[in-house]
Amino acid sequence: MRRGVVEACLCSICLLPLPLAVADDGDDTHVVVAFAAEPTQIDPTRTSAGVDQYFMALFYEQLLTAGPDLRQRNWLAESWRLFERDGVWLIGVELRRGVRFHNGDELTAHDLRYCYLRQRDPGLSRQAGRWRHVADVRVLGDYELEIVFKGLPDSALLPLNLDLWAIPRRYYEEVGNEGVQAHPIGTGPWKFVSRSVREEIVVERFDDYWDPDSLPGIRRLTIKIIPEDTTRVAAFKTGAVDWIDAVPPAQVADFERTPGVKVASLPTSNNLFLALNALDPRSPLGDVRVRRAVAHAVDFDAIIRYILHGQGIRTVQVTPGAPGHDPALKPYAFDPDRSRELLRQAGYGRGINVNCYNLTTPREPYLKEVGEAMFAYLTAAGIRCRIVQLEYGAWINLGRRDARPEMDGIASWMWGHGALGDPTDPWGGHLHSYGDGWGWYSYHDDPELDEMVETLRVTVDPGPKEALIREIARLKHERVAGGVPTYRPLVTLAWRDTLRFEPWPQANWRMMRDIGLADSPVP
Amino acid sequence: MRTYLIRRLWQGAVAVLGALAIVFVAQRLAGDPVALLLPMDASEEDFAAMREALGLDRPLPVQFLVFLRDAFTGDFGESYQWQAPAMPLLLERLPATLELALAGLAFALLLAVPLGVMSAVYRGRWVDRLAKVLALLGQAMPGFWVGLLLILFLAVRLQWLPAFGREGPLHLVLPAIALGWYPVAAMTRTLRSSMLDILDSDYIRTGRVMGLPERTVIWRYALRNAAVPLATMIGVYFANMLGGAFVIEVVFAWPGVGRAVVDAVFARDFPVVQAGVLLSAIIFVVVNLLVDLSYGLIDPRIRHG
Repeated sequence: MRRGVVEACLCSICLLPLPLAVADDGDDTHVVVAFAAEPTQIDPTRTSAGVDQYFMALFYEQLLTAGPDLRQRNWLAESWRLFERDGVWLIGVELRRGVRFHNGDELTAHDLRYCYLRQRDPGLSRQAGRWRHVADVRVLGDYELEIVFKGLPDSALLPLNLDLWAIPRRYYEEVGNEGVQAHPIGTGPWKFVSRSVREEIVVERFDDYWDPDSLPGIRRLTIKIIPEDTTRVAAFKTGAVDWIDAVPPAQVADFERTPGVKVASLPTSNNLFLALNALDPRSPLGDVRVRRAVAHAVDFDAIIRYILHGQGIRTVQVTPGAPGHDPALKPYAFDPDRSRELLRQAGYGRGINVNCYNLTTPREPYLKEVGEAMFAYLTAAGIRCRIVQLEYGAWINLGRRDARPEMDGIASWMWGHGALGDPTDPWGGHLHSYGDGWGWYSYHDDPELDEMVETLRVTVDPGPKEALIREIARLKHERVAGGVPTYRPLVTLAWRDTLRFEPWPQANWRMMRDIGLADSPVP
Repeated sequence: MRTYLIRRLWQGAVAVLGALAIVFVAQRLAGDPVALLLPMDASEEDFAAMREALGLDRPLPVQFLVFLRDAFTGDFGESYQWQAPAMPLLLERLPATLELALAGLAFALLLAVPLGVMSAVYRGRWVDRLAKVLALLGQAMPGFWVGLLLILFLAVRLQWLPAFGREGPLHLVLPAIALGWYPVAAMTRTLRSSMLDILDSDYIRTGRVMGLPERTVIWRYALRNAAVPLATMIGVYFANMLGGAFVIEVVFAWPGVGRAVVDAVFARDFPVVQAGVLLSAIIFVVVNLLVDLSYGLIDPRIRHG
């Protein structure tokens, strides 16, 4: 909160007429943008963090993609289908022809199989576990492949765009891991030029891109890394950069009012919630009335309005726009009297004492302040919080459980569900009870919901899948199972109106695909 | 002198080893890095495989001995985050940090030496009062705040200097001021106090009686003798700037070692933290040794035995 006020004051000092933006040098247009965070990996088969996508999305592409409308569409896949053959579930993919890597090699199914082999190798890939339900990726021809499942199909592959990246096998074998990191080559609309770690990456338009209509409208792009909010904003104000991400929430309104600036606030891939330990027999949170008391105790709308400056979307279970979102499902109303009444009915007329764990690392804006506000609301309603502040490493170690979970109360938690907001993977992790490869962050045990989540994991057909998500969401809401959803944060991007920019959801909206000069033709 | 050097180097090696051992154990007590490296839906088998791959499944003393053995061959392990050798990751950022620390120190000395001398010579006058105000401000305003103010006024409002990055000498000005601002206060006050003692001494009085110009008395004879405590401070602050410029590096998006090491601490990137601590400890030891040796140059009466 205090930080927000300071930022607002600082912003008022630096509200100035904006200097001239991009210089158009004919076809040699060069745009400089700034990101707040820097990826550590560019190779999609070795990635370990969501932030890595920021650079990966420049060079590499997948079989499917999500468009600006958040609808998934075929991309490098000309077509694909899920089917059963002799009792084996498969996804058959036909590749787009004529797609070339930046070194001129043509993309074939062998490259995608090579990606699969790298991704499932735990010695190389940190995502190897994701392929545990897949027996093989078979090449049927240069432009045809099959993903073969061990048992029922894994629907979690779908929101990941089938999770295969177009990487050039020949080049990888030639230059090795270090060579790839030093000079990545993919099929994407940008070619690598240079990188100075913790400073910048420079890329150039790939003129032989397979879809000439989707080519960026600028020749060269430099991405600067500026982690400090005020400095990034200053860089924009001084004209040193023409586009920035992560505009601090306290300054979004000022940006919106500034002439010559365009702003877009977009939902991030994180979904935030209050995790409640309903397993501990000594804990009052095992009683559904106490969990409902928690849900009634916090004024989430006020938190979004006053702490986040409106930069959050209130969620009930599934976020608006995501598959299976049910607009009829209403959040628990803010009603502290009702909370106290529920506590009394549960036999806790004098309230309860509980450990409340708060994440202090700014993975999302003002996370620490939001947590403190939520815990203050709980305390006011009789759920007295003993707040424990944790940095990210300690927080994630506390949340990840084994047979004896450490998190013994309430924790401010989050789970990335991708741009599409598909809850399949997150619910498998924090709603399904712990055990047999499920519920690594779960503090709930409900056999009926377990069964439904397991069915969801193998339901690929969109119609039944959405119906099942709605049904799980309804029960989850009613039973306050797997925590209390709070909000989905928004990330704000700002650019000069001399630029044309359409945000695409990959890489948390930092995909610099649809960018050009405002007066250049729209692809 | 030779014995002194050998003794100091030996003490330095013990200090470096001690710092490494403490950091090695402390960061492992603080938590498991594997949960930060794997996706949230990773299985227990994935965790076990990753721990084994990183050598974190071995007993702590074994991990430490392996680390020492490898370190002696110049192998500090691979960064968990960057998946690249840890020490080169830091060494390639060292020039940026050295550049910033030297510029910050130069700024501090350029301001502190004249102010310290003048406030002692003109004790109680306006120069002295100005030095006191500056000292107060220097101690009261943290570097990151000074940095933000500099950005807002000199970069955004006046547009005289760039706000971020490392692309040329002009980019160095604001971070150097922000970094050098804090030690100015302490250096000024130390030099003033030391100068006041010296200016009251017999040999200064003798110099004046012999008709030496006041400028020579102050700047050549008094300052030289008053500079010994300042040299100590220079050593300490320079080493601190090398290791502690993190905040300034973040504010000005300066690609230095400090930022890399602090990021590594939060990411539980043990190899980078260990390499960073080793680098920092060696620099600290070397700078302090050089400072101690410089005493003899500043004041020939000081001998190392």
